[in-house]
Amino acid sequence: MKLSKITKVYGNGALEVPVLHGIDLTIEDGEFIAIMGPSGSGKSTLMNIIGFLDTATSGTFELNNEEIGLVKDKKLAKLRNEHIGFVFQQFFLLPRHNALKNVESPLIYAGIPKRERIQRAKEMLDKVGLGDRMKHLPNQLSGGQKQRVAIARALVNNPSIVLADEPTGALDSKTSEQIMELMVQLNNEGRTVIIVTHEEEIAAYANRVITLKDGLITDDQRRNL
Amino acid sequence: MSLLESFKVALSSIWSHKIRSILTMLGIIIGVAAVIIIVAIGQGAKSKMTEELFSLEKNAVDLWYQPIPKEGEEESEMFWMEPELTSEDVDTLSQVPGVKAVIATNQGWGPMTYNDKQGDMEITGVGPEFFSARDIHIVEGRPINARDNDGRNRVVMIDTVARDKFFQGKDDIIGEIVELNGNPYKLIGVYESPIPEQYRYNESGEMLMPRGVISMMFGNLEIERLAIVADDPERISEIGRSAADTLTRAKKLEDGIYTVNDFSEYEQELDTVINIMTLVIGSIAGISLLVGGIGVMNIMLVSVTERTREIGLRKALGATRGRILLQFLIESMTLTSLGGMIGIGLATLGTIIVSNFAPISATVSPLIVIIGVGFSAFIGIIFGILPANKASKLSPIDALRYE
Repeated sequence: MKLSKITKVYGNGALEVPVLHGIDLTIEDGEFIAIMGPSGSGKSTLMNIIGFLDTATSGTFELNNEEIGLVKDKKLAKLRNEHIGFVFQQFFLLPRHNALKNVESPLIYAGIPKRERIQRAKEMLDKVGLGDRMKHLPNQLSGGQKQRVAIARALVNNPSIVLADEPTGALDSKTSEQIMELMVQLNNEGRTVIIVTHEEEIAAYANRVITLKDGLITDDQRRNL
Repeated sequence: MSLLESFKVALSSIWSHKIRSILTMLGIIIGVAAVIIIVAIGQGAKSKMTEELFSLEKNAVDLWYQPIPKEGEEESEMFWMEPELTSEDVDTLSQVPGVKAVIATNQGWGPMTYNDKQGDMEITGVGPEFFSARDIHIVEGRPINARDNDGRNRVVMIDTVARDKFFQGKDDIIGEIVELNGNPYKLIGVYESPIPEQYRYNESGEMLMPRGVISMMFGNLEIERLAIVADDPERISEIGRSAADTLTRAKKLEDGIYTVNDFSEYEQELDTVINIMTLVIGSIAGISLLVGGIGVMNIMLVSVTERTREIGLRKALGATRGRILLQFLIESMTLTSLGGMIGIGLATLGTIIVSNFAPISATVSPLIVIIGVGFSAFIGIIFGILPANKASKLSPIDALRYE
C-alpha cells in the first residue's frame, strides 16, 4: 500500500479545516505498524483513508500497485469488505445478534452462502478462543471477549490488513495484553496489522512506529523485535 | 445479502420494539381494516339489493300490456281493456328465438279453511310448464301436471308458509281436503315459498291451482298474464323486448303494445349509487392509510437515528449504500405489510360481525386481500424511501463516531 502526497481537507469555503498536509507512506505486506500522535494530529483521518472509510482530498493511493482514484461508494464498500478488517475501541458489535451472527456479518455482504458463512465464523471464533461462546449475545460477554469477537469478525473475510483503532482503549491492562498478543499472532501469520494508539505500551508491540503531528509524519521508526 | 435475510433482520428489529411497532402499525391496521370492511359491506349491500330486487325475475320477465293514448287524450282519462290472451299467444311466444319457456298464469283469491283454521289465500293458476320454468322446490307430494289442467281437476298445492299455518305438527297431509270459498279441493303437494321471509306480506301463505280450475271457479280468463323465460339470463331484457314486440305484432294491436320492465337500467343505477358511496367512504378510510404511512415514516426516521452506529458499522463491514437502503425499505415494508395483514384479519372479523347483525352478507374477497397487502406494502415503500435514503447516505465515519 503506497500513499503519496495525501492531503485531507474537511469542510469547504471559509470553513475549510485542513487535517492532513501531504502524507507519504508505504506499507509493506506483513508489517506491524503503530500510528501514534496526540489527538488532532490527523491519525484517525489517516486511518480512515487507509481503511477506505474516507477518501483523500488530493494525492495518490496505490493498493497492490494499482492506483485507486476517486472511487464510488459501492467500490469503497467492496474494498473495505475484501481488504480491511476493522477493530474498534468500542467493539461495535450488533447488540441483538449473538457472537456467531456478528462474526458472520462481513461474509453476508461478501455474498458467501450461509453454510460456508457459519463454518468460517465458527473457525474464527475457535481461533480467538471463544468456541464455547458462539450463542452468547454481546451483553453476556466481558470486554475482552467482545473485542475477541470483533477481531474474529475482522478476520473472517480473510483481509490483508487488520486496522485497529485504539483496540485496547476500553480494556484493563491484563486483557489488553491478551488482545495485543492475539494481534502479534495475526501478524506472525503474515497479516498486515495497523494499530492507531496513543499508548506507548501498545505501540511497543509494533515493529514500525509512525508518529503524526499536525497532519504530517514527524517520525517513522522501524525496529526488529 | 439475500432478500430473505433482509426480511429476517427486519422482523427481528420490529420484534425488538414490539410496542412501538404495534403503535406504528395501528394507523395502517385501522386504515386497511376500514377500507376492506367498507368495500365488503358495499359489495354485500349491492348483491343483497340486486338479489332482492331481481331474484324473482332472474331469468323470467313479465309481459305487460301498455295502452297508447289517442291524440288529445289524457292517459288518466283513457278507457281501455287488455287484449285477451290465448294458448295461441303462448305458442307464438315460444317460437321467439332465445325464449326457453312461456309461463301462463291467472290469479284467484279467497278464504281457505281446514278444520277450525281459516286464512285468506292468494292463488296463482298455473300449468305444468310452471314448475320447470320457475325454480319451484317441491318438498312434499307432486306438482300440478297436464292432466290436472286439462281435466279441471280440483287439486291445490300450498307453500310452506301455508303448511305451517294450517297443518302445524301434522305429518302426512297429502290427500287432505281443504275448502276454498266453500268448495272442497284435494291437496296434492307442498312447495318451498320462493318469497324471502321479510317479504311475506300474506301470512297465510300462497297456493297454486291448475289455471283451468281458477278460470272455471272464479270466472276469469285462463291466461291473464304471460311471462317468458330466457335461455340466457344475461340477455333477459333483450329477449323480453323481442318477445313483447312479437306478441304486439301477432295480436295486430293498434291502441297498445306489449312491453317488459327493463331491469338492467335499474341495476345500473343501483350500481352507480353504491359505487359512489363505496368510493366516498373508502377514500375517507384511505386518508387513514395516508396518516398511518406518515406515522411509519416518522418511526423509521427515529429508527435510523437510533441505529446510526449500526449503520456505520455495517458500512465499515462492507455494506453498500444500496444494501442499507434496501434494508430499511424492507423494514418499513415489512412493518406496513404486517399492519395490512392484521388489518385484513380485523376486517374479516368485522365483516363476520356485520353479517351476523345486519341482513347483508359482507365477504372479504381474495382480491381485496391481495390488494390490501400489496397496497400497505406499497405505502411502506413510499414512506420508507425518505428514512432509508437518509440511512444510506450516512458517512461510515460520522456514523461510527455518533454517540
